Parts: sequence; C-alpha cells; structure tokens
Amino acid sequence: MDVIKVKNLTVTYNRKPAIKGINLNIQNGRIIGIIGPNGAGKSTLIKGILGFLPVDTGEVKVFGENVNQVLKKISYIPQKEQFDWDFPINVYDVVVMGRYPYLSLFGHPTQKDKKIVIDALEKVEMLKYKDTQIRNLSGGQQQRIFLARALAQESEIYFMDEPFVGVDAKTEKSIFEIIKELKESGKTILIVHHDLSRIKEYFDEVILINQTLIAYGNTEKVFTKENIEKTYGGQLTILQKANQLL
Amino acid sequence: MIEIFTEPLKYEFIQRALIASIAIGVSCGLIGTYIMLRRMSLIGDALAHSVLPGVVIAFIVSGKSEIALFIGALIAGVVSSVLISFVQRNSKIKEDTSIGIIFTGAFALGILLVSQLKQVHIDLSSYLFGDVLGVSNGDIILSGIITLLIILSVILFYKQLLVTSFDPVMAKIIGISTGAVHYFLMTLLSMSIVSGLQSVGVILIIAMLITPPATAFLLTDKLKNLLIISSLTGVISAIAGLYFSYYFNWTSGASIVLVAVFFFALAFLFSPKEGIVMKYLKRLRTQKINSSEDVVRLVYKFGEIKSANELKNILVAETGISSVKVNGILTELIKKGCVVRTNGHIELTEKGKEMAVKLIRSHRLWETYITEKNIVDEENIHEDAHKYEHLLNEDLVEELDKELGHPEKDPHGSPIPKKK
Repeated sequence: MDVIKVKNLTVTYNRKPAIKGINLNIQNGRIIGIIGPNGAGKSTLIKGILGFLPVDTGEVKVFGENVNQVLKKISYIPQKEQFDWDFPINVYDVVVMGRYPYLSLFGHPTQKDKKIVIDALEKVEMLKYKDTQIRNLSGGQQQRIFLARALAQESEIYFMDEPFVGVDAKTEKSIFEIIKELKESGKTILIVHHDLSRIKEYFDEVILINQTLIAYGNTEKVFTKENIEKTYGGQLTILQKANQLL
Repeated sequence: MIEIFTEPLKYEFIQRALIASIAIGVSCGLIGTYIMLRRMSLIGDALAHSVLPGVVIAFIVSGKSEIALFIGALIAGVVSSVLISFVQRNSKIKEDTSIGIIFTGAFALGILLVSQLKQVHIDLSSYLFGDVLGVSNGDIILSGIITLLIILSVILFYKQLLVTSFDPVMAKIIGISTGAVHYFLMTLLSMSIVSGLQSVGVILIIAMLITPPATAFLLTDKLKNLLIISSLTGVISAIAGLYFSYYFNWTSGASIVLVAVFFFALAFLFSPKEGIVMKYLKRLRTQKINSSEDVVRLVYKFGEIKSANELKNILVAETGISSVKVNGILTELIKKGCVVRTNGHIELTEKGKEMAVKLIRSHRLWETYITEKNIVDEENIHEDAHKYEHLLNEDLVEELDKELGHPEKDPHGSPIPKKK
C-alpha cells in the first residue's frame, strides 16, 4: 500500500530553498532511515511532508489524501531539545495527549482512553513511572514515553527525529525492538538518523538526502559507498569511513 | 488582634479594594502560569504597557466609563500583540526586539495623549502605580466578570492550553490552531491586565503575572497544583499588600508587589525540593552521614590492628576531614553504641560490625553494578556513584543484588558479604 507520495517537493526555509524537487513513494510496513549531513534538510523534509512549512512547489499525498485530513494518523517524535523538561507534567499526562485527537473540544479521556494509555506505558515498560515528572527520567526513558504517546495515538505513520541520541546501547536496542514490532503490524516508521552506523541493521529503506534527493530505495541496493559520498559531498570524515567498515 | 483584619473592612472602599485584590490574584495567577510556561513574560510586560493608549482614547471618547476603558485596553492589547507578531514574521527582526519596539511605542503614544489632551483629566500616576482608593463598583463588576471568564477558559480549554504550551507540534497534529490559542491567550492576558489596572497599575501588574506563578513553580511540578498555588499566592499577596497599604499609607501597587516578591524569596530559599537553603541543609546532612559511614568502615578495617592514635591518623588521612570532626564523629558513634574504646584501641561493637558489613556489601554491589552496566553516557550516575554507596535502603540493595545475579566478588576481586 502506498502510504506517502511526494511529488517534486520544494520547501523554502529561512528564505533559502532547504529541499528541492524531492520525489518519494513510500510503502507501509517498513522502517525507513532519512540520512544526510547537518543542514541537508532532513527535518525540513519531515515538516514539509506534514505540511508544517509552506510548500513552494510540489504535492504531498498521505493515504491518497491531503496531509491535513490524515494528521491524526501520524505521530511525530521531535528531538529531545525541543522540549522544556521542567514543564510541570508527569509521564501519564504526556502519554494521554496521544488520545487528544480522539476527544471532542471540551471532552475528557474516557475509561477506554485511560486503558489504552496504561497499555502503551506497559508496552514501553514505563508504567511504574507514570506519576514521575519528566525531568526525573533518563534520556532513554524520555524517548520511551514519547513512543508510548505515539502508541496511544494508534498512529499509522511514525516520524522520529534522532531517537537514539543520548541513549545508552541497551535502551537503543529495546526502543528498536518496539519499532520493529510496529513495522510487523504494518505501520510505517521514518527515522532521521545522523550517523552512518547500524544503517544496514536498522533500516529496510533509506532516503539519502542533501537538499536534493541523492537516492531512495532498498538499503542493500542504495546505501553504497558512491551514494554516501555523493550525499556527504566528500565530507565523509575518517571516523565515518571507519564506522562504515565496521 | 482580630481587629487588625476587621477594622479596615468598615470602609466600603476597602471592601471594594479587597474584592478587586482577589480578582487580580486569581486572574493574573492563572494567566501568568501559562505566560511563564510559554516563556512569554516579556510579552506580558509589553501588553501591560501597551494598553495605555487604549485607556486614554477610551477616556476621550466616553468619559469615565469602566466598560469603555475595558474595551479600549483590550483593543490596544490585542492590536499590540498582533503587531508584535506581524513585525517578527515579515522581517528578520526577532521577537524580543519586536516586543521592545511595539510596547515602548504604544506606551509613548499613551503618555503623549495624556499630556496633550488637557481637557481629559486622567490621573496618570494612579494608572502607572495603582490607586486602591479609586476602585469603583463598576471596576469590581468588571474585574469579577473577567476573573470568572478566565477561570472558565482555563477549565474548559485545559487540554488546548496544555498541549500548545508543552508541545506545539503535537497540537498541530491534533488539529489545534496554535495561532488561535496564542491570540486567545493574548486576549485573556489583556483582560487580566485590565482587572489589575486600577489597584496595581500598569507598571507593576506584570509582577502579578510573573511572580506568583514563579513562586508556585518552585513548590510543585503538577500543572493543576501550579495553577491553584499561583492564584492563592496572588490573592494572599494582593490582600496582604492592601493591608500594608492601609496601615502604613504605602502605594498599593508597590506594597502588593513587594509582598509577592517576599513570598517568592521564601520559596526560593525554603521550598522543600528547590529551595537553596533546603538543598544546602540536605547536602550537609548527607555529608555527615557519609563521613560517619566512612569512619565505621575504616574502624572495621583497622580498629583491631592499629592503636587508637594510629587509627585517628588514618581516619583523618583517608576521609579528608579534620581531626576535631573525626573525634566528634567517634564520640557520636560511641553514644550510639557502634564503637567502643578498649585498652588503647578503638573497635566496633557487634552493632557497629553489622553496620560495617552492610556498608561494604552496598559499596561493592554498587561498584559491580556501575562497572557491569557500563554507565557511560549517564554522567550523573557515574559522578554520583559514591553517593549511591551510602544508600542503605535494604530493599534497594537487595534488588541490586538480585539484578546482578547475586555476585560473589566485586570488580576488584574482593568478596561481597552475604546478607545476614
């Protein structure tokens, strides 16, 4: 099933074209990596698809419709820096926001909503922290509650911006296990990933981007040395080369 | 004693001022909480100043009508907030600069209007600094309606205000217009400013929007409690300020604000979780416990083989605390029955030994845990490793032991004592 169709998308950000002429045709049930150097327009691509930034040219269809019609089916898990962790809110209240799309203007979460929230927390093994203020969580736990919120939202598409930054190896693995389960139940997961390690292990497909689309497709086929060098414009550091060999 | 509180209530103007104070406390406390959480304190300040031209024009048009004043202030407030966003969106000027331009401009316009239009008798100083004597019945009705409206909005739109404040992206996904919520909040903000205009004044009303929420923020980390504590602090500050103003003939606005700042200072120093004094006391307490536990461990290791004097030298050298303090700790441990002096030696009693074994067990288990889990990126845990060793909470230590699979030895090869 075609989930996201992007045709000739150009988005200007801060008066400079951030991404140009992007074409994508994304199917469901995959984990897709969005890869590129800093400033390549990875986040802009996501925001462009979600319709958060004005589109210069091009067209985005999600489930064959205008993205505004289907936003409720989409979860976006931003980078950690986007949040004020001192905000007076506990884990449960963050996750219950996942049910807000299903509530009326003045509506409150029902028993059913509460059960979905509890189940989502259990799934990410965070139930015992439900009353904890979010500042008091570790980096991995913070990432998990936003995953739980996405689960509670019962989304079909998950955008995750650098979910593995500042997370220890064990947590990274357990988060990835949950992502894999989502994929197996037919969901589509797009992950912005900035380093070149574990790409073949994690992603079914990759989008290599540096303002324009360098390559998109099956990781095995597309994630080649040539394409990586094109994406990083010869900026590939020794460290990145080394990571690639590992 | 009770007369201090009841005596002023004989006067009708004090009764009116009291009702007005409660209204500002609640309306500013509630709206101020969201202003603080959205980091818009500067906009609050700006709007408080920008309502001035609206107020003056309302006077010119209608004479002294509270409703006209309210509408004038509201329009000026909303227009200013729209202008601030307009300048920011349509140029490379950033928000803080845009705020600075618009609010000083509007305020200057207000002052010019007041000074030029001599036929309008506005007591400028009462608008700038508040004049609690001047609260009219019309003011009270207006403040009451505004406060009820704000309470109702905060309850009805709790979800929308929460999600747009915490996670604007999520708000967009839900289909909540962040722009609409922003201007809705700006309207409520302008209203709450109007409700406090007469008693606190344009210049100081911002304090009622910022200081009580900040005080409450140091006392709780739940939004609902924050809203309640913030309003209560606002109300109490306003009432207390009013009484000071009555008894000492102080300017009402200034005394209300100073009481609010006093409460903030109290919270800053003594809040159980955040207060700097409480943090300091807690650190002292922990340090004392830690030193005492270090002493027990060293006495366990050296007490029987070294003489009392040699042991004291070791204690000073190993713990890094002064010999006076070491003596103090030893005396305390003797009192507690953990340590005894016997012919030239300082040794542990049975009770002291039990404590030492527990300490060593906890210490070695934590060391094993930290090494085994390879806690690298979570700097704090690594840094605070020594702190964890002093956590003798038995459940926690047993949980640790279980999770590690009941290890026999620590990473240095030393045996880990078993639980008795």
